[in-house]
Amino acid sequence: MIDMQKMLAQIMASTIPPDKTDLDSGTVASVVITGISVVFIGLIILILLVTLYGKIFEAINARAAAAKEAEEKAAKAKAEKAAEGEAIVKSEPESVTAAGDGIEDGIEEEVVAVIMAAISAMSAETGKKLVLKSVRTAKPQRPVWASAGVNENTRPF
Amino acid sequence: MTLIQSFLDTLSALASESGFAGFFADGGWKNIIMILISFVFMYLAVARGFEPLLLLPISFGMLLTNLPFAEMYHPEFWDYLTVTERDGTVNDHFIDYSRILEHGGLLDILYLGVKLQVYPPLIFLGIGAMTDFGPLIASPRSFLLGAAAQGGIFFTFVGAAILGMSAADCASIAIIGGADGPTSIFVSSKLLTANSSNSVGTIALAAYTYMALVPIIQPPIMKALTTKKERSVVMGQLRPVSRLEKLIFPVLVTLIIALMIPSAAPLVGMLMFGNLLKESGCCDRLVKTAQNELMNIITIFLGVTVGATTQADKVISLDFGKVMILGVVAFGLGTACGILLGKLMYVISGKKINPLIGSAGVSAVPMAARISQKVGQEEVPTNYLLMHAMGPNVAGVIGSAVAAGVLLAIVK
Repeated sequence: MIDMQKMLAQIMASTIPPDKTDLDSGTVASVVITGISVVFIGLIILILLVTLYGKIFEAINARAAAAKEAEEKAAKAKAEKAAEGEAIVKSEPESVTAAGDGIEDGIEEEVVAVIMAAISAMSAETGKKLVLKSVRTAKPQRPVWASAGVNENTRPF
Repeated sequence: MTLIQSFLDTLSALASESGFAGFFADGGWKNIIMILISFVFMYLAVARGFEPLLLLPISFGMLLTNLPFAEMYHPEFWDYLTVTERDGTVNDHFIDYSRILEHGGLLDILYLGVKLQVYPPLIFLGIGAMTDFGPLIASPRSFLLGAAAQGGIFFTFVGAAILGMSAADCASIAIIGGADGPTSIFVSSKLLTANSSNSVGTIALAAYTYMALVPIIQPPIMKALTTKKERSVVMGQLRPVSRLEKLIFPVLVTLIIALMIPSAAPLVGMLMFGNLLKESGCCDRLVKTAQNELMNIITIFLGVTVGATTQADKVISLDFGKVMILGVVAFGLGTACGILLGKLMYVISGKKINPLIGSAGVSAVPMAARISQKVGQEEVPTNYLLMHAMGPNVAGVIGSAVAAGVLLAIVK
């Protein structure tokens, strides 16, 4: 492979000087044949190698996917078991909404439910019990007019 | 009286030194014609949108180089001299670079990057940083189509040889069939000598003009060579390619191609380096520079200087006509070769491959792939061939770089 250029030169018997005119048909034919075949050989070698490593990676990916699937299955089974035994997900939101006092006025129950659901999903995975104690609106860092001013001044950047 | 006399003398001296006087000097009419031709290319670039990013700099380079007495570019500085090197060997391809550095105009200095083959590989770096080889990795058989479309290069070599051109001219004209501007400039700047009937500029002009004309040249050939049934083949989805595969690919291609054909190493090496930067995901700043700033700077330098090499006597000649005719033949043959191999693959694959993707094997990224998509959709509007055509398209870039390497290995 490394000697392809030497081989090329040998096939051509000799290289053609750039200023040579009236090339004879034999020379031209050999340029065409060697040219096309070298391009094809080069790219066919690449096809073989790329196909080969493509196959290897496909196999690895398939195995990884299978392993992941098995893991997911196991995790699911575990979670189901946990849910049956302790019923964390069911009991927690009730207790929080019942507590009520930690939740600021004006925040809808749906919002609390969504936050709680997210927390429950996390706790089901790790097995830790997490409790939502209060929900408050965050204070804006700047008054509205000040932020408008900052926006205006920094817009070009 | 003497005051008037000296006033008139000064005026006439100024007039004779002005560029206008140059137009009336010996051969000055050629400059006027060249400037008019540059206007035509400017019109094509600006009003018609023919590859404007390149044709506009090229046409302005043409204008600058044909201004009499402006001395921006000196063709005579680039003639080969015959000298005896320090080790006693006789070198008949010697260029006196110290003279160019000392007396050269702006365009002479910038042209160094073309003559020393600096710009084309840097453009390839940018192209590599913009190219996604995913479709090619997912469907490696696309390489075959990219190789077949290079047939146009070698068959055009035959045509140029029949017309009695020199080996350097044959190779430079043939490489236009690769539909790859930087590759054409790379080959022609290395091969063409003062004795050649063409210049780098005329080759580049032909290459970029035809690349802009791909949407007009290709579809008739594609339709003539395929049946309605073949064009209607709907191809399925390509498999997803993992990041690691994309990372290995540029290294692998560089190793194989550069070891096989060392003269293709500058082009393929930089193309793959750019791609590795992109796929590595950890060199964002470098990738952005390669894709944008560096690429744009080089494009400006390349265009303007390549335009500068188009002197009147090289363009207003029968040979330029031959280049234009052979160039379109090269393009057509490349397209036809790709389509024909596509047809063969259609039969072998059990009618699963749409032969239209074969024409994308001529480089011209991504225009040629878009043409495959468009012609395919004329038959089946819901057929998305674009990603399938991108495989042969990017394989064509590698293929034409290899073909360039082969030509450079043979002609020297």
